[in-house]
Amino acid sequence: MTITGRFEPAPERGELATYRFYLDGHRRVLQAKCEGLSPEQLAAASLAPSELSLLGLVRHLGRVEHVWFRMVIDGHADEPMLDADDPTGGFRSIAPTAESAAEAFARWHEQIAYADGVLDALGDEDLGGTRLTRHGEETTIRDVLVHMIEEYARHAGHADLLREQIDGTTGL
Amino acid sequence: MQTGELANYRDYLNHFRTTLERQCSGLSPAQLASRSVAPSTLSLLGLVRHLAYVEQTWFRRALQGLTDEPRLFTDPSDPDFEFNAITGTQEEVDEALAAWRDQVELADAWLETQSDETMGMELATNRDGRTSTRREVLVHLIEEYARHAGHADLLREQIDGTTGL
Repeated sequence: MTITGRFEPAPERGELATYRFYLDGHRRVLQAKCEGLSPEQLAAASLAPSELSLLGLVRHLGRVEHVWFRMVIDGHADEPMLDADDPTGGFRSIAPTAESAAEAFARWHEQIAYADGVLDALGDEDLGGTRLTRHGEETTIRDVLVHMIEEYARHAGHADLLREQIDGTTGL
Repeated sequence: MQTGELANYRDYLNHFRTTLERQCSGLSPAQLASRSVAPSTLSLLGLVRHLAYVEQTWFRRALQGLTDEPRLFTDPSDPDFEFNAITGTQEEVDEALAAWRDQVELADAWLETQSDETMGMELATNRDGRTSTRREVLVHLIEEYARHAGHADLLREQIDGTTGL
């Protein structure tokens, strides 16, 4: 499967199956962009002055999965956000240690597993169902899922260039 | 709030087209052409040319079967012609923006003819012989624009420090 570069059609035709194909694809892109790097490389802000790092993206997307799948779609709106004390949304500088990398990946994977459980319970007929965002605005499940795809994809663009700066690797 | 499938796709597609316009605004031709995240060969001008090609590929060729039109910013000698064959003149910038905006206008005219009921229909043309749906192409276009918006975020920040566009 290739995301963004060469287009390969999703194996199933339905609306939800299409969204899941792209969401899964971009989760795998981020995982691949992080493979084979040391904790120092993962935590490096390799395109300063940008504060972005691959590990910061992993932390941020763990938080994003939690907000949209658990708090918004699954109705746990009263839970605190992950990294609620972090004004940068999970991007703040992260210790370049094996422990902090392991913690960020474990938390991200845990949120993905939860999100997939939420998605397993949905069908195409549910996608027009409405939810309230954290800011109290009405949205649809469909809109949340397309938002997740574009948010992951934009961060994949960041990850492309961060990884290339670290060791020259492109095209994962 | 958009509740329908097609309206939702169009919202996101328009968002990323206007994002790219903002990411390119206020820069000189030399800045637009600069490879500001070297060794990457990407530039903002290259992205505009690439996305003109992408709009044409999907909306004209794949979705409408209009495969006889000359392809934008391509050359058989270089698969990355749209990024590599750039000198950074005002004429080149004007040409790229005009071509991209033309394709956006043509794409929007086709989207006006569509509805939620046509999203599951198969493509008019698929170069490898496999089938896919209009919905898949539109979601792909959103994620392709979004990924390039991520590239453009960092390209622009390196040029003049601007973020959050």
